[in-house]
Amino acid sequence: MLLVPCPHCGPRNSSDLRYGGESHPRPDPATATPQQWRGYLYLRDNPADWLRENWYCRSGCRRWFTVERNTATNEFRNPPMPGDKRGGKA
Amino acid sequence: MAESPAFESPVVRSYETAESGALMLSDGSATTKWLVRGSFDGAVADRLAAPFGSSRVTEGGALVLGSRPGEWIILGATNAVAEVVAGLDGLDSSEFVTALDWTHGRALFQVTGTDAPQMLEKVCSLDWSDAMTPDGAVASASVAKVTCDIARCDADSTPTYMIFCDRSFGQYLFDALIDAGDEFGLAVGLPGG
Amino acid sequence: MTMSRLGAQPAEVIDRAATLSFRWNGKRFRGFEGDTIASALAAAGEHVFSRSMKYHRPRGILTADYWDPNLMVQVGDDPNVRAGHRLLEAGMDVRPQNVWPSLHRDIKAANSLVGRFLTAGFYYKTFMRPAWLWPTYERVLATFAPGGKIDLDTPHRYHDKRYLHPDVVVAGAGPAGIEAALAAAGAGARVLLVEHEDKVGGHLRYSSSDSAQAALAELRAALEASDVEVLTDSTVTGRYEDNWLGIVQRNHPIAVERLIKARAKVLVAAPGLIERPYVFSGNDRPGVVTSGAARRLINLWGVKPGERAVVFTANSEGDAAAADLDRVGVEVAAVIDGREGKRVSSAQGSSRALEAVAAGGNRIEADLLVVAAGWTAPTSLLNMAGDRPVYDAAAARFFPSDPPGNVLATGGLAGDGSLDELRAHGSATGRLAAQRAAAVAHRLQARTARARPVDGDEPSWAPDERTPLGRDPHPELYRSDTHGMVDLSEDVGSKDLVAAAREGYDSVELAKRYTTATMGPSQGKLETVNTVAAIAEARGETIAQVGTTVWRPPYAPLTLGALAGRVFEPVRVSSIHPWHEANGVSTILAGQWIRPDHYGDPAAEVRNVRTNVGLIDVTPLGKLDLRGPDIPKLLNLLYTNKWSKLPVGKVRYGMMCAEDGVVLDDGVTGRLGEDHYLMTTTSSGAGGVWEWVENWLQTERPDWKVHVTPVTTAYVSINVAGPKARELVGRVTEGVDLSPESFPYMEVRLATVAGVAGCFMWRIGFTGELSFEIHAPSGHGLHVWEALMDAGQDLGVGPFGLEGQRIMRLEKGHFIVGQDTDGLTLGPSTGLGPLIKLDKDDFAGKPELAWAADRPLPMIVAIQPDDPNMVPDEASQIVRGDTNEILGRITSSRMSPTLGRSICLGQVEPELAAGGTKLTVLLTSGERIGATVMDHHAHFDPAGERLRG
Repeated sequence: MLLVPCPHCGPRNSSDLRYGGESHPRPDPATATPQQWRGYLYLRDNPADWLRENWYCRSGCRRWFTVERNTATNEFRNPPMPGDKRGGKA
Repeated sequence: MAESPAFESPVVRSYETAESGALMLSDGSATTKWLVRGSFDGAVADRLAAPFGSSRVTEGGALVLGSRPGEWIILGATNAVAEVVAGLDGLDSSEFVTALDWTHGRALFQVTGTDAPQMLEKVCSLDWSDAMTPDGAVASASVAKVTCDIARCDADSTPTYMIFCDRSFGQYLFDALIDAGDEFGLAVGLPGG
Repeated sequence: MTMSRLGAQPAEVIDRAATLSFRWNGKRFRGFEGDTIASALAAAGEHVFSRSMKYHRPRGILTADYWDPNLMVQVGDDPNVRAGHRLLEAGMDVRPQNVWPSLHRDIKAANSLVGRFLTAGFYYKTFMRPAWLWPTYERVLATFAPGGKIDLDTPHRYHDKRYLHPDVVVAGAGPAGIEAALAAAGAGARVLLVEHEDKVGGHLRYSSSDSAQAALAELRAALEASDVEVLTDSTVTGRYEDNWLGIVQRNHPIAVERLIKARAKVLVAAPGLIERPYVFSGNDRPGVVTSGAARRLINLWGVKPGERAVVFTANSEGDAAAADLDRVGVEVAAVIDGREGKRVSSAQGSSRALEAVAAGGNRIEADLLVVAAGWTAPTSLLNMAGDRPVYDAAAARFFPSDPPGNVLATGGLAGDGSLDELRAHGSATGRLAAQRAAAVAHRLQARTARARPVDGDEPSWAPDERTPLGRDPHPELYRSDTHGMVDLSEDVGSKDLVAAAREGYDSVELAKRYTTATMGPSQGKLETVNTVAAIAEARGETIAQVGTTVWRPPYAPLTLGALAGRVFEPVRVSSIHPWHEANGVSTILAGQWIRPDHYGDPAAEVRNVRTNVGLIDVTPLGKLDLRGPDIPKLLNLLYTNKWSKLPVGKVRYGMMCAEDGVVLDDGVTGRLGEDHYLMTTTSSGAGGVWEWVENWLQTERPDWKVHVTPVTTAYVSINVAGPKARELVGRVTEGVDLSPESFPYMEVRLATVAGVAGCFMWRIGFTGELSFEIHAPSGHGLHVWEALMDAGQDLGVGPFGLEGQRIMRLEKGHFIVGQDTDGLTLGPSTGLGPLIKLDKDDFAGKPELAWAADRPLPMIVAIQPDDPNMVPDEASQIVRGDTNEILGRITSSRMSPTLGRSICLGQVEPELAAGGTKLTVLLTSGERIGATVMDHHAHFDPAGERLRG
């Protein structure tokens, strides 16, 4: 089972989290065309590469967060974590 | 809430109880518990001085748990808890702070004993070693498939854990903990123990 | 082949003073403590243990261990027990499997006479057509399928589960594995050593040499003195992402099996090597055994495996087997040395009078043919870590290539060497594992919020400076000059694989699935390499070119019970539950909630609510406490309607749609104070809506000041409904004027109820009656309920359950999200289009709802069957006339006790939505009935006069 680097708790079993899928910004509902809006709803890039994705730390800190994961290797990068010198909170 | 009618525990089945034992499970659901929310790192966080994942006992004897980023559970004697909550008023008028009485919303059980970490290993995937979950640690995790807040607060260096869950799961979780503790000779303590 | 018990052997594991009595095939047998089922039977002279899967050929001992494909037996109600591995217990009732009518007279053995019909892909080719015969095929095939009998009355046994976080897990307790565990523990690591067999020692256990036994004693003593946690009769069944391991422990004192889920910082794979059978004609006859089987029988259990043996050997283990046989008085009639290019060509004759034929035609009579043809490296755990082992022709086996740094191989998997070299490699592996585990532990601890602060920098990742093990040359021995059995579990021969390759299934992954080779209970441990070799031969290529199949979890088969572990099925109850149980409730499980469905007669409960007053426990209703100045903005975003001007003390209904415009949830939200609201959701939607709200607040509107707290179970919720509800509530409530003028419909008040302060109540109602929904702190919920019951005796108060409420809400035409709506039901389809305020700036799903507003949509409508006594099943289709063109469906249906007729809600195509439209409903029986669309959703009191009273 994947260890997901929660920026608040630290590494957690993926079963403690809910996968939120690819991170895409919400289009402005006032101006979005059907194509744009439905792209936001349904279309995913699904790269075999680095991917920005959302997770919800459901059994833990209950925070949503975004991380970068390489879908081919399951390597994570740039999640500031507790204890990280990059600025996670202790 | 300490008015006229007695507090009804979520644990309604009756058990053979013991006053002491090597591994004890007790029901502390009646304990006053408040939930305080504020900024991750503002005046309230400074005052409560229990960052996420840690805990602290106040001078008045209340226990402050850093249960989530910007979220604290305060529990203990009703007066002591009230004192802590009252002390947060007007610390910083720009900070958005709320507090609510969660006594009725959360069941609270305590497990204490040398074998308590081994018992918890049977129901929860967290690492219970002293390095990863030391005395004073606070975490949230699934316990027997119920999401719980867990605080380690050792009594006389005996591993001791407080486990909070939604009240409606209380009876189920209590029984699941008894089952997990069976091989270690778990005894059920008197309520409030 | 006649076996019998030898005199005491130096390495034996049996206790000859402890006799165990058991049954085999209905007859009484005796064995010793320490025997496996198979060794006890072998000692008693049994030589046929099973019939093969397809051809029902008699089968005897082949490897005498867990992987032996011929030793699957039924023990009591436990099917598929490995008799070569399971220790004998007194009173066991052991029976053969896959034999009909009996082990020794097996009618299905006729299959071997017609074996040519059961060639590769037989099932695919034969049982394809005609399709309508499939049920017959299935029934016939099922009686031929291998495997034991499942007793459906078997009681649920206790299976346990445990989570562990060891620094180092060592899979396999041979000499290298034990040394690795000792070295890692010596370096301060928390070590778990997992051994498949019931004792540690690996191949040292069945060596009779003094040096091996001395080394074994030394290693065992060192383990005893160490902090290593040793699990025997346990298997690391799988390695998953980030070294998450499944371990099944079969000998735990309190459980049938215990599943351990371990997050290992470093995994050391030391499973040893598995001896490979050799493919030749008759290689599956009883009496043909591996050298390991012969040595285990002699040395562990003191069983003489035969009287006159032929030994085909290509390595030192085979030589040792010949020496063991000679030592215990088995006549070694011939040694055929594979290293000199000699081969065994076939085994002929019956099982007790075997004739081994060497290549060249030399016939030797014997009752035992011992084969030592080489090794399979069980690289499974490395495969699961992403490694792709490579074949070394000179050593005639696969070796690891490049596993990730937190997975290390040692022992036979990594190479060959003297015992000292293997131990030294194990020890170096253990030290390396401990160093790397320390780095992982440091990182985990430093990054975990709750962990103890950690000193210093993360230790650097230790380089692998182990002295590699050598590789002993070994002849490539896969198939002789005859064809034979490759997969003994599945009865797949080398001929079948060649045929499959000729038919085009010449990739190993295809051939495997086409022939089922490697897919039986042995799961490739014995037959993978021979399978690859057969395909390579058919393709005229090398084994390295063909490559191997990828071994996936589990390493060894495990029971469903072990996977299920302990039963964790959380259930929730309200504080009033003890009262329900004491008052004849019939419960229903809704989500995780155990809820009152009714108390005997739901129709009577409905009539009582319509005429007197009833109480329902609606505690599972989702409740979110909202605090903060930005709540109106949040509500405007979540709901389709407007919330900016909801005064304190008022309650409003709202519908939520997801971003695709589909109905997500609904409920009422009341304003309790200036910056304090209570939102209710459906019971089933409570958890999902909470996460959805958190998502909006955390990711889209992080600047809004709102705190959301789930308080579903902080309050019990009691709906008091019926014409006498005001009278009843008034009797127990202090501090609130309940008159309709000062507390009208859709308002909320804080109150003290039955002496309990901090309750709030609102006037809403799903039933259509005058109702007060009281939310009381849960710790006093039972008290409030009982006080209402006591106070209303003279009013005829009674409880009602979910069924009564569902009837009444259907009488009122209220839809239920998920029952009357589905995953495609857009907001306007509910009939609540006016509540969708497209002039708001933004709200969830607004663009889709705006586009939907311009097009006709299926609609939820009230429907009444023309025959008032006919209640169509829910999900009955609405069709066009006599055709099967679907125009909608019945989503809810009940007999209405109030109206004395059947009533429904349904979804219909837009053109059928107008009141008065005649419909045809196709019942599940096939009958068609007429029905009419009603003018209003409410079948009863459409003006809502009772509700507002």
